[in-house]
Amino acid sequence: MSLLSIRNLNIRFRTGDDYVHAVNDVSFDIAKGQKLAVVGESGSGKSQIAMAIMGLLAPNAEASGEVLYEGQNLLALSQSQLNRIRARDISIIFQDPMSSLNPYMRIERQLGEVVVQHEGLSRRDARKRALEVMEAVQIPDARNRLTAYPHEFSGGMRQRIVIAMALICKPKLILADEPTTALDVTVQAQIMTLLDDIQRDLNTAVMLITHDLGVVAGFCEDTLVLYGGRVMEEAPTLDLFDGPGHPYTRGLLRAVPNISDATATLAAIPGSPPNQTRPPVACPFAPRCVDVRDACLEALPDLTGSRQKRACIRPVEELT
Amino acid sequence: MLNYTLRRLLTVVPTLLVLIVFSFYLMRLAPGGPFTSERPLPPAVMANVLERYGLDEPLHVQLFTYIKNIVLHFDFGPSFSQKDRDVNDVIAQGFPVTLTYGFWSAVFVLACGIPLGIIAALRHNSFWDYSMTGLAIFSQIFPNFVLAPIMVLLFTLSWGLLPGGGWNGGQWEYIIMPAVALGTSYMAGVARLTRGSFLEVMSSPFIRTARAKGLPERTIIIRHALKPALLPTLTYMGPVFVYMITGSVFIDVFFSTGGIGQDFIDGAYSRDYSMLLGLTILYSLLTFTLNLLLDLAYAWIDPKVRSKL
Ligand SMILES: Nc1ncnc2c1ncn2[C@@H]1O[C@H](COP(=O)(O)OP(=O)(O)O)[C@@H](O)[C@H]1O
Ligand SMILES: [Mg+2]
Repeated sequence: MSLLSIRNLNIRFRTGDDYVHAVNDVSFDIAKGQKLAVVGESGSGKSQIAMAIMGLLAPNAEASGEVLYEGQNLLALSQSQLNRIRARDISIIFQDPMSSLNPYMRIERQLGEVVVQHEGLSRRDARKRALEVMEAVQIPDARNRLTAYPHEFSGGMRQRIVIAMALICKPKLILADEPTTALDVTVQAQIMTLLDDIQRDLNTAVMLITHDLGVVAGFCEDTLVLYGGRVMEEAPTLDLFDGPGHPYTRGLLRAVPNISDATATLAAIPGSPPNQTRPPVACPFAPRCVDVRDACLEALPDLTGSRQKRACIRPVEELT
Repeated sequence: MLNYTLRRLLTVVPTLLVLIVFSFYLMRLAPGGPFTSERPLPPAVMANVLERYGLDEPLHVQLFTYIKNIVLHFDFGPSFSQKDRDVNDVIAQGFPVTLTYGFWSAVFVLACGIPLGIIAALRHNSFWDYSMTGLAIFSQIFPNFVLAPIMVLLFTLSWGLLPGGGWNGGQWEYIIMPAVALGTSYMAGVARLTRGSFLEVMSSPFIRTARAKGLPERTIIIRHALKPALLPTLTYMGPVFVYMITGSVFIDVFFSTGGIGQDFIDGAYSRDYSMLLGLTILYSLLTFTLNLLLDLAYAWIDPKVRSKL
């Protein structure tokens, strides 16, 4: 059984009289210790999937389908039931380390309160644990910096603290939502190396959300490509890079001059993002697709295949 | 922090000095004087009186003597209009009164305004929120000089529940109306402000982080949201304290509390120079102290401010 199993997840947001259909019929699995990358351009629904897993969707959101964690549907749990899973079993690293720490609270308290809450540690033991994780994420002079406030750290150091916070309870799954996007390029590499080391030590599963294919190449064995809130392709990362099976993935890879170039982004495909005020009835990528056929505009393609799954009605051989 | 407080205290001295000099000359510019009346005193008597109070000396000598007496003896001089009382006596009698109901008024403003704001925010867009916000807007249009007569009309004249004035050694029935009348519109302001800032803080990314930690909502509110939500309220309290001090002059007169506001007004009418100057100094010291306390509270909450002190 997989650790996390997402089944037909739909998320829509009410905005006035309309809906924004942010996530449409998404299904995927994450096994114990697996590293899965979720890529897609901005607005494709990546963060909302993570929020649905954490039970942190905005009040105007409606989610349907199932988010099964070790067999129990997280979407059906109450906030207090979710509180027993948050941080202890599943934790999340948010994109912006500048704003995701509480500026009015000392670091040791922000780290310590997690283990006080979930493991019932005393404040003293919690401080010890805080120091341990601070050292694990390689914050220099950690002992003396426990009592510092967030603004006394650089962006990279703050993101290390956020990572420390996410792993302090040794969770089974870490959701990393663009953990390096807000950081300098040189710092990005350090943070990814750190995440990689920690993942290997704890054998935690990681869902890495990113729009940076360079990051994906070095870190995740599997990749899921989202477009307009739908899964376009899901495959082992190497297969996907060698032989992308979906026109969108192809476009992405073509837009990236060099996979190892860490600054490459996904915005380089001509056309504009899909209108999401209605649930998709045809392939959402069709209007931007170079290989589009009439049939593409008429029905939703299924996600088919075993090792390399793709949602495209055209055979791979025919794609340009 | 101690360092900062000391530095702030040191700046009082020059500020006060400038204030004294300005007020001193300004008062003398106003026509009339403490001993002018409709039937002028015989010149000989007048000369006598002026000499007795030192008013025959050149102005700068008077000013120098005034400051010297304050510095050396903490003596604010005799009242020119109230016989046989000096300004120190008046302050000793009236200031505790004004300070007492002023203190309770501030307690009322904060202890009601903040919880009301938070409750409205927690149930935002509900019936409670709308009625609270409506009430707050409604009370904000009742400044103390409108609210005080209305309260007396209702609570004293119509229902006979509370005394309409006096002090009686500061029993609570006598404190309640002055304190509430003085504070209500600011209490409403605090409630509205707290509601807004609390809502904003609750939607900020670090609260989302706290939620992701699996902390119960109560802990998130008390431990993570409360302090930052109070920062705008603290900023707002700076001017509010000044308005409340000004308002207390009216309240003292209206409720005949025996507070220093009455002496201040009397002093202005009778050109009681020493009384006016003494009370002006007192009011500004009070303003200064309250602002210092606010700044310290600000620094206590915000580590970024603290590190700059
Ligand atoms: N609270 C909300 N109300 C309305 N629309 C929202 C809300 N939150 C997110 N969305 C929409 O959902 C879509 C997916 O957002 P998101 O998952 O954050 O994208 P990304 O892939 O960049 O992380 C976007 O179109 C966004 O505008
Ligand atoms: Mg996002």
